[in-house]
Amino acid sequence: MTNKKKPVAAARAKTITTAPAKRSTPVGDGADAQQQLVASRVRAGLFALFTLLSLAITNGSAGVEGKFAFWVDKIGGTDVSFSVPVVLLWVAVTAGFGAMAALQFVRGASFRWRLAIGLISPFLVFALLARLLDGTTANLTVFFTSTLLYTVPVGIGALAGIVSERSGILNISVEGKLLFGAMIGSIASSITGIAIAGPIAGAIFGALVSLFFAWLGIRYKVDQIIAGTVINIGALGVTTFAYLRILQPYSEFNRPIGITPIQIPFLSDIPVLGPILFSLSPFFYIAVGLVLFFTYMIYRTRWGLRLRAAGEQPNAAGTVGIDVVKLRYRAMLIAGLLAGFAGSYISLSGTGGFGINTSAGQGFIALAAVIFGAWNPVYAFGAALIFGMTSAATTLLSGLGVTIPPQILLSMPYIVTIIVVAGLIGRVRAPASAGRPYDQG
Amino acid sequence: MRLELQKITKQFPGVLANDRISISVDKGQVLGLLGENGAGKTTLMNILSGLYRPDSGKILIDGKERIFRDPAQAIDAGIGMVHQHFMLVPVFDVTESVVLGNEPTKGPLGSFDRATARAQVVELSKKHGLHVDPDAKIESLPVGVRQRVEILKALYRKSDILVLDEPSAVLTPQETEELFEIIRGLAKGGTSVIFITHKLNEVIAVADKITVLRRGAVAGETTPKKATAAKLAEMMVGREVQLTVSRSKSKVAEPILQVKGLNVLNDAGGLAVNSATFEVRSGEILAVAGVQGNGQTELVEALTGLRLVDSGTVVLEKKPLHAGSPREIAMAGVAHIPEDRNRDGMVKGMTIAENYILNTYHLPQYSKNGLLNRKAIAAATEQAVKDFDVRTPSINTDIASLSGGNQQKVIVAREFSRNVRLVIAAQPTRGLDVGSIEYIHRRIVEQRDAGAAVLIVSTELDEVLALGDRVAVMYEGRIVGILDAKEATRERVGLLMGGITK
Repeated sequence: MTNKKKPVAAARAKTITTAPAKRSTPVGDGADAQQQLVASRVRAGLFALFTLLSLAITNGSAGVEGKFAFWVDKIGGTDVSFSVPVVLLWVAVTAGFGAMAALQFVRGASFRWRLAIGLISPFLVFALLARLLDGTTANLTVFFTSTLLYTVPVGIGALAGIVSERSGILNISVEGKLLFGAMIGSIASSITGIAIAGPIAGAIFGALVSLFFAWLGIRYKVDQIIAGTVINIGALGVTTFAYLRILQPYSEFNRPIGITPIQIPFLSDIPVLGPILFSLSPFFYIAVGLVLFFTYMIYRTRWGLRLRAAGEQPNAAGTVGIDVVKLRYRAMLIAGLLAGFAGSYISLSGTGGFGINTSAGQGFIALAAVIFGAWNPVYAFGAALIFGMTSAATTLLSGLGVTIPPQILLSMPYIVTIIVVAGLIGRVRAPASAGRPYDQG
Repeated sequence: MRLELQKITKQFPGVLANDRISISVDKGQVLGLLGENGAGKTTLMNILSGLYRPDSGKILIDGKERIFRDPAQAIDAGIGMVHQHFMLVPVFDVTESVVLGNEPTKGPLGSFDRATARAQVVELSKKHGLHVDPDAKIESLPVGVRQRVEILKALYRKSDILVLDEPSAVLTPQETEELFEIIRGLAKGGTSVIFITHKLNEVIAVADKITVLRRGAVAGETTPKKATAAKLAEMMVGREVQLTVSRSKSKVAEPILQVKGLNVLNDAGGLAVNSATFEVRSGEILAVAGVQGNGQTELVEALTGLRLVDSGTVVLEKKPLHAGSPREIAMAGVAHIPEDRNRDGMVKGMTIAENYILNTYHLPQYSKNGLLNRKAIAAATEQAVKDFDVRTPSINTDIASLSGGNQQKVIVAREFSRNVRLVIAAQPTRGLDVGSIEYIHRRIVEQRDAGAAVLIVSTELDEVLALGDRVAVMYEGRIVGILDAKEATRERVGLLMGGITK
């Protein structure tokens, strides 16, 4: 027996993009099973750790009262408030984590841990929120609506990432496209005075940036990580420059027609739920529609079958006569439209128009959602919702003057992503050929 | 359908890959296309499948000229390719894989009509006797079945001309025999088949007509009835070839390598080598046979220090080596000819001389106080290049610019430059021309005769049978049998390669 770790062996350790095709023998399958078992033990341990942590918090929150309020009819209307002992919330969370640890340990690899994390996360954020508020009243209608609205750019951005990566193009330039979409959307809306012109112009410009990126990656086989980084940094530089030199001195270019929330007839009249779910910006409903639409397209149509084939094994697609290059350009066009559209939301839904670095890393959170959601639009949107909730909690806390460093909550999506990507708690399988240029012939 | 290629010429920068090649195959005929690596087979097939355009020459189908601008047009014309490296998406199921590119759809969004597709695949596999589960994931299927899926893909596209590129490379002899049955059946049903290979026995077994390519041109045409393996080899290489390695009987002495209960994990953490126990003695060649991917790679990496040993012992002449670094192992007298010379054998971009001292540069004769002794290195390399007949303009040439055969000679020269007690040669002749194969084989046998122990790992059964004094067979990480050369018949080894131990 030896414990010496050899550098070569370490260098051969798999990364998430390892093509599974090469492990064809039953030897590999056995290995997979063993690896999954190890990962599930790690998860069980992690959940047990969280159980203990939350038990500790439960202990420390005796006597603290969580005070919450809802608006019944509309934002700023009549409210109804209630209070819960924070201990109770934490007992529930502790029990949840305990159950997860136990189930994970007993069921092993077949336990649906991703779903379990998805289910407990909202409660965890909520309980944390209550603990940190420490007796201050929080309005949950605001909390939930802002959760849903924070989800919009991240969710659509994640969709952009999924469409391009399923086709085989590693798309880290979502952030840059969001920024461009935000600026162009604001300018177009300000100049034309037509509300709808903003999202349309943002989407079109996002598509142009995306096609440029695709052209670099496909035609010139530029490393897609480098090309994406160039676009992200370039977008920040160009939009900041344009803001300082044009939008600030000539502020008429940065006074967009805001896209205001809509009231869905009847549904928005439902007490409590109406103001939360059915009186939102139209962007949110479009986002949900897009997620459902693309889920169907990716898994149930010919387009989706070919898209996935191109992202997994482009040669397999190319040799049966599918034009992989054209397919990837088209996927990037769609991804650009989506990301630019998502960007326009950022500058058009608020009041301020475009500002420096207004996307504030949401494009990167979108990529985290892509990975956490295992390249599935619905799961990724779920991840975006959880990330949106942490953002909403941060905003709420700082609005109420609770002083905790907001970075703690804001860094959560990245920490979660690192854990997922490292494969410690279970491997996510990326499209096997994402990021690899395709050589025709 | 009758397919005819007339005077196909394709020039690449510096290479005339196809030089006025004319071949033809009739309806229901099996054409064996024989040639070494680099003879132009693959280029010709890429032209036929629409991936390349020929510089000149014609493709005729039933006497009518056809021009293929992309693979889709070749498929439309009825040409179906089964590539050497399977073109399948591992996460797709069989149905999806077969219909990809010609999917039945319904509705305005182009929804994939899975039920229809599945029914078509089931019917097709029944009709041609190609049994596959339409719902199985590709990655869960053994290689032989994946090949059936590839053939189904071609048949689904109504191919009348089926082109198989080195189809037996990944199969056991028994699976190869099954494949031949399928090919014969298809030919009987009217499909024309082009069977590309470098294995002489296979063309004789399955082809109706044989065309031999050499250096991009047709070297001759014959039929299996008229041909013998020796004659075909001569056509392929251009001179008389010794098909069997001439070697004296081995003078076996004391054991040099002793491996006991060796367990090695693969990258994913699974057991790749499962309690391997064997020894190799001085003056003998132990050849390890097995279908690719049954743990041979991990075994060799573990023996040479490139991979962690999980448990078990490796002893070289009483010296334990299972915890040794690659350098310790090399210095102990182990010569390693790696399986993938591009990855583990040399550094492209460095010169022949630099590659020659790659694992001895630290020795006092080549370096002192961290400075290389250029003169001594040049002298040693010059001598090695002469001894091993490496064809190169200079020892300061980038190794990447040499042919595969000459690269391999540099590697062999380097490994044999030290005191050699054990030779570990993994796929030592993969991708080499027949001339280089003969040369490398001779050098390895020389080491054996000089008293070294030799461990050869090869997936080519011919190589195993030609060289092994004893033959070990690996299957799913286990050594399922060790046979003496006398007992090691093609059939017995073949069965063991498929995991059948009686």
